[in-house]
Amino acid sequence: MLNKVVEKILSHTTVTNKTVTVSLCLAFLLPSLSVNTFARDHLYGALENEALLECDTLSWSGESAEARNCYASLNSLQHPPQIRAEAFWALGDLQSANTQFRDAISQFPEDPMVRIRWGELFMETYQYQEAFNLFSEALELDPLNSWAHIGAASALSEGGDPEVLNHHLSSVMEEGLAPYGARLRAIMMTIRSLLQGDRYDEALNSLDEAFEFASDESLPTMELKALRAAHAFMTREEHESWIAAALSESPAYGDAYFIPGYFASIVRRYKEAGDFFKQAVELQPNHWEAHIYLGQNYLRLNNINDAIRHVNISYEGDAFNPMTVNMLRLLDTFNEDFVAISYPDPPAGPLPEFILRLHRDETNVLKNYAQKLSKDSIDLYSARYNFTPQEPIIVEIYPNHEDFVVRSIGMPGVGILGVTFGYLFAMDSPTGHPEQSYHWGTTLWHEMAHVFTLEATNHFVPRWFSEGISVYEEWRTGPIPGRKIPTDVLQAMAEGKFMPISELDDGFMRPTYQGQVIVSYMQAGLIFDFIDLEYGFEKIVDMLYQFNEGATPVQAIENSIGISDKEFDRHFKQFIDIEYGPLLSGLGVWMEDMRVSYAALGEEKWDEALAAAQRAVFTYPDYVENNSAYIVIARVSSQLGNHEEEFQALQSFWQKGGYLPSALLKLADYYLERGMKAEAEAVLMDTNYADPFIESLHVTLGDLYMETQRPAQALEEYKVLLALDPLDKASANYRIANAYNALDNAEKTMEYLMTALDIAPQYRPAQQLLLEMSRTRN
Amino acid sequence: MNKSITSLFIASVAMISTLMPTAVQAALYVTIVQGLGGMPEFDSAFTDQTQKIREASLTLAEESQVTSLGGDSATRDALLAHFQSLAAAMTDADRAAIYLVGHGSYDGEQYKFNIPGPDITDADLVDILDSLPGQNHFLVNTSSTSGAILEALENENRIIITATRNGNEKNATEFGPFFATALTSETADINKNNNVSIQEAFDFAERSVTEFFESSGKLATEHPQIRGEGAVSFTLARVQAVELSDDNPRISNLLTRRLELDAEIESLQLRRNEFTNSEYIQRLQALILQSAEVSEEIETLRESSQADVE
Repeated sequence: MLNKVVEKILSHTTVTNKTVTVSLCLAFLLPSLSVNTFARDHLYGALENEALLECDTLSWSGESAEARNCYASLNSLQHPPQIRAEAFWALGDLQSANTQFRDAISQFPEDPMVRIRWGELFMETYQYQEAFNLFSEALELDPLNSWAHIGAASALSEGGDPEVLNHHLSSVMEEGLAPYGARLRAIMMTIRSLLQGDRYDEALNSLDEAFEFASDESLPTMELKALRAAHAFMTREEHESWIAAALSESPAYGDAYFIPGYFASIVRRYKEAGDFFKQAVELQPNHWEAHIYLGQNYLRLNNINDAIRHVNISYEGDAFNPMTVNMLRLLDTFNEDFVAISYPDPPAGPLPEFILRLHRDETNVLKNYAQKLSKDSIDLYSARYNFTPQEPIIVEIYPNHEDFVVRSIGMPGVGILGVTFGYLFAMDSPTGHPEQSYHWGTTLWHEMAHVFTLEATNHFVPRWFSEGISVYEEWRTGPIPGRKIPTDVLQAMAEGKFMPISELDDGFMRPTYQGQVIVSYMQAGLIFDFIDLEYGFEKIVDMLYQFNEGATPVQAIENSIGISDKEFDRHFKQFIDIEYGPLLSGLGVWMEDMRVSYAALGEEKWDEALAAAQRAVFTYPDYVENNSAYIVIARVSSQLGNHEEEFQALQSFWQKGGYLPSALLKLADYYLERGMKAEAEAVLMDTNYADPFIESLHVTLGDLYMETQRPAQALEEYKVLLALDPLDKASANYRIANAYNALDNAEKTMEYLMTALDIAPQYRPAQQLLLEMSRTRN
Repeated sequence: MNKSITSLFIASVAMISTLMPTAVQAALYVTIVQGLGGMPEFDSAFTDQTQKIREASLTLAEESQVTSLGGDSATRDALLAHFQSLAAAMTDADRAAIYLVGHGSYDGEQYKFNIPGPDITDADLVDILDSLPGQNHFLVNTSSTSGAILEALENENRIIITATRNGNEKNATEFGPFFATALTSETADINKNNNVSIQEAFDFAERSVTEFFESSGKLATEHPQIRGEGAVSFTLARVQAVELSDDNPRISNLLTRRLELDAEIESLQLRRNEFTNSEYIQRLQALILQSAEVSEEIETLRESSQADVE
């Protein structure tokens, strides 16, 4: 059990396990800030100083004023510096606590507990590497010190090596003389890990053992009770009595609510999580972590003002928390930076159907396309999944990727594209990914499917199921239909790395190799493609609604499809063998052809590049990622002047779902040259869903609409062009004037026309339109 | 009837008066200095830029007033001698445009533009510009670290463009090729008057640099700068010839009338603050309508002439 990893997705620093031997020369500097706190973590017997224990007991029992006086009384020279440090710490004066610990190390250099507690102080201020270094130094002094092992494990749980973390936990569990309190902390870390991994049966066993152990050794159990409440909530059991039990042991213990709230948010039960966090801060107003989680939760539920309020409270109480600081920076200008647009406007009923929240700078570029994608996907999913949204759906699109990540999970540096919280989802704008590999339209389509799977099941849908449907819908109904399976996933398929369906959630939640999450996405998508093809789409919907009733995925398969999960796995494997067997058996050859084609292209060896690319296309014609062999064929053909071959390659690329904007724009030119206006229009619209920030795209599409007598649509494209702040503003304004003229709107025509002519008085087409209007008027 | 269009290939700057045939007296002297590339690809790129700038400059200036200096002819002594003779040739009414195409370096105190032998320094550039008669001269330095010269060179009497914000932006720059391209680009001619001004060339190149770094997903290592007044009205190149006269006297008169109207429009635009917005638009509209009618008449006359010939 202890060999399992405690993983934290939200880790924000990487803690390295290099041993640090010299501590005093290191910059153990705490910011000159105080934490406005009086919450004192239980020490589980780590310190045995009677005077301190007396104060701690008052604190833990909720007698705050008495505890404060008690701690203040410890600030005299009759107490050693490490005890004065504890008192300062408890009173919220971390700077003085830091100074006292430094003095204590000078006076008691051989006492590992001084270093351990100083490390815990660094843990509390989110400086995990410094904390880990101190725990490591303590272990050099006393290799069997269980408190030091627990400290090191805690620091590593914030982004360190899982194996080293497990080693530290095992050291506590296997050390026969380990203090009972340290052993209980190790067990509780394990329980948290099990709960995070949805391993509820094992968690319950560990909880039972821990209660027995704590009872035998007279250790406090309020944290265990809070964990038990979390377990009960996650398994749909009655949980309130466990919270009540924790509070009867420690009446001011905000964690009694915060811990279940944290785990409720882990399983995406945000409404319930918010209730827990709210009760945590009501009970313990100085629970700053609960405030930041409550703020984040409000943000996820689209309650922006309350989110800002609680983030601010959290910052005022604890300015050290990097999550708080990140969110504060984001929210500081959130209401000014983002514009909310409701659809329909005015609403048909009491509420709008959906709301786009777009960055002010991008609103006029994205809004029409985002509106169409949102509307189309809502209509489609409502019908396919028999679910009518009960609230407006909020679509947030962020031009800055890190802002989006902070908004979603509180910390930057995570490679995600979109996150759905229920009726609200947030995602990256194409401007967050300038390298052309990002298809924002598909991301919106994917996230919108999550809205339906989450809300139709009251958030009980398993992760793999929800992701699988989203991927499947991308491929079946999205803006660029067609399966798109990256090369490394094909490699994983060839190596037999697909997981049994009963364990597929592990591939998302507990990956064991690099790239397993994306492999799991693709497997989940293929599973629904398979179910649709083999058993019919209605089985997917049937399975989905069973999660409302508490079915497990295995039960849902048995109930809906009528076979066991093992049988399902076997059938699915046969499907994969049929669909991909020939490709996978020749995967190495295909990959070599791909490599050779691009290498030869780079070296301008046109014939070699073309031959290799043609072989690659023959082996795997559906591969249309941006490094597709079709792109090589098109580029080589262009170089050799073989325009028909270039056109054919680009057309195949697009028809199979390729979306590289530069390739699509070239294809649109070819279609226009050939007079194939409908195809050109379709390609250009697809390009908008890949990258609408290309000026020439809107010129071409707008002109095409004008040519085909659709000035209203042309006008929208030209307005997007103008919103892109083009260098040539005169012609952008002139085009808008022209479209308004075609719509018989003389006032608007003149407004934009004169703007164009003010910029470029000698602009002949605009002058001609002015003459025409003048004569019409006269 | 044969039509003859006289192109304005006379050294000038595109102020309102330069569009008027009677006012073309000030000369533009162009000097293009091509520095050392150090590597074949840079040599080739600098040569390409130099050629583009030269060709663009010849749309405005006489060949004798466009000087390209590169290789052994671009030593410090040769450059100083060139500018000494240029200073002697110019009058107070003339203007100079100086292009520095190459690499630069900055050691925290002194900027150097890299040429064979001793480099040209920022102090040399100050001396060169100070030595020229008249005012409102223009210098563009496309080199790395070129921003280091701004403080020393900028003043109200000259327009300075650099490829970088300061001397700390040391990477080889992307600005130069874009600036050279702007001089022959219709896209850069934002006001569609067939001229590319300093401001238009700068806007085009600056935008292109930004797009280059954004599209390649790289952190921008250069931030072009412009200093000084008058960049909007200082023409560097013409993208199409301007018609000043025609064999047909009626057309010739109309061309003159159109130039007068264009001058009135520019004059109105400079005085726009004197009017309310609706007054301004009304006046602008009236003038542009007249100009449009004149253009239409010219086109009609030409079409009928063409029909007569056929």
